[in-house]
Amino acid sequence: MAPEDRLILLEIKDRIDGIERLALELKDLGKGVPAIQKNARSILGVTHALRFGISDIVEIECAQGRGE
Amino acid sequence: MEGRIAPYWNRYVETLPRERLLAVELERFRQMLSYAKEHSVFCRDRYSHIEPEDVRTMTDVRSLPLIDKEDLRRAQDEKEPFPFGDMLGVAPDEVSVFRQTSGTTGKPVYVPESWESWQWRVEVWCHILWMAGFREQDRVFIPFGYNVYVAFWEGHFAAEKLGCMVVPGGALDTKGRINKIREVKATALLNTPTYGLHLAEEAAKMGLRASDLGIKRMVCAGEPLPHATRERLEDVWGAEVYDHIGGTEPCAWAAMCGERRGLHIMEPFFLVEFLDMDTLSREVEEGELGVAVVTPLGRRSFPLIRFNTKDVVRKGKDGCACGRTSMMIEAVAGRADDLRKIRGVLFTPVSVEELLRAEFPSITEYEIIVRKKGVMDQISLRIEPSEEMGEPVMKEMMTRLSERLKIKTNLTFLIEPVSPGGLPRYTLKSKRFKDRREEEGGEC
Repeated sequence: MAPEDRLILLEIKDRIDGIERLALELKDLGKGVPAIQKNARSILGVTHALRFGISDIVEIECAQGRGE
Repeated sequence: MEGRIAPYWNRYVETLPRERLLAVELERFRQMLSYAKEHSVFCRDRYSHIEPEDVRTMTDVRSLPLIDKEDLRRAQDEKEPFPFGDMLGVAPDEVSVFRQTSGTTGKPVYVPESWESWQWRVEVWCHILWMAGFREQDRVFIPFGYNVYVAFWEGHFAAEKLGCMVVPGGALDTKGRINKIREVKATALLNTPTYGLHLAEEAAKMGLRASDLGIKRMVCAGEPLPHATRERLEDVWGAEVYDHIGGTEPCAWAAMCGERRGLHIMEPFFLVEFLDMDTLSREVEEGELGVAVVTPLGRRSFPLIRFNTKDVVRKGKDGCACGRTSMMIEAVAGRADDLRKIRGVLFTPVSVEELLRAEFPSITEYEIIVRKKGVMDQISLRIEPSEEMGEPVMKEMMTRLSERLKIKTNLTFLIEPVSPGGLPRYTLKSKRFKDRREEEGGEC
């Protein structure tokens, strides 16, 4: 993978982790308010899909990069 | 075509070198195994002796036991939490949708999806539709009521996520659906191959040509799509027709790209193995037939480790002109369930479909019936022509068909003509192959 791609991916992974963290905090803060809890859950469903296609790749790329 | 602006749904994943794809998949496999052992009663018992951290290579993966549909039935079988029993991988109140298999081979399997797992399935389908050239500008018509069967729901949600305009076509008859295609100026269809041909046939009865209806692309689901049937559909619809393979339990795990030469494994969403049909222990070589064993790597509501799909496929050569690096399937040969020994010859109904669609376009519908006559198996093929034929023409065609079937399958068929409209039409899964040897017993 090109070094510039790796850098962009790291940035993206960082944002995905951030969204996930915020969604979890939101879910927690919204205890007893279904409108917050259920929408936060929806966000987490999407970050799961994003982690799958992006964050995993970054982790493997970084591990491989360290090994090279 | 492939180049409708961005060729890839996710270029990072789709062009990743193979060894890195495999590294991602093995890491995900360990995580899924660990999760499954913790959350599914079935997996806890089945893999009690295995430490996920010890699974480092494909050889390690192959040492794990397979799961098949019968295991799933036993793990559910009226057990709590009802109706998913020991297979459930999330808390019952996290299940947001119920799906089930069609029950073609026995009791249906009930499949739970949590919101998260459903989003994962939809993401897989986004890849499939994007590869087939679906884009925001498309108006996607789905000519079915989807009921509890998953494929068209996945396609529906994924097309919405892509930004297409989705038009659900349930609760209409075939004529109504053709009119709806015209009314909304649909550009794409999600379809079963059988129903794609049937729609075209009905359009002709309405004085319309399917190729004039404006459909540019079609993704087929629900049935095998032999090359000849795909070409026939492309011909009558004047559209690009794409195949994919999957099932309710594992999700769709391979699909065609714009090259339309074989199917790409949806890596790294799945770890897929192709095992020899006799022992289910050896990975087959390129060009060889094998049974697909699939592990979905991100679906926690229904964890499956090494699920034996019983789909028989020909393993393809790595590499594709589209630039994707995923493993390839050259062709789908059929279902291991449908492979039958008839008079000692291994037979798959797909071979008949292939022959009829490629060489006998005047036959619109057919049915294969196997019976026991005394100690002998008898295989008959009922054929329905598109329009009445004179006796000499029909006779000549039957002789030619009989010869071609003998060469293609090594079996002698009894051929029975049926009047136009005499055979059943199917919307979802067709049932054109009927093996009645056991239910009828031998007739002397």
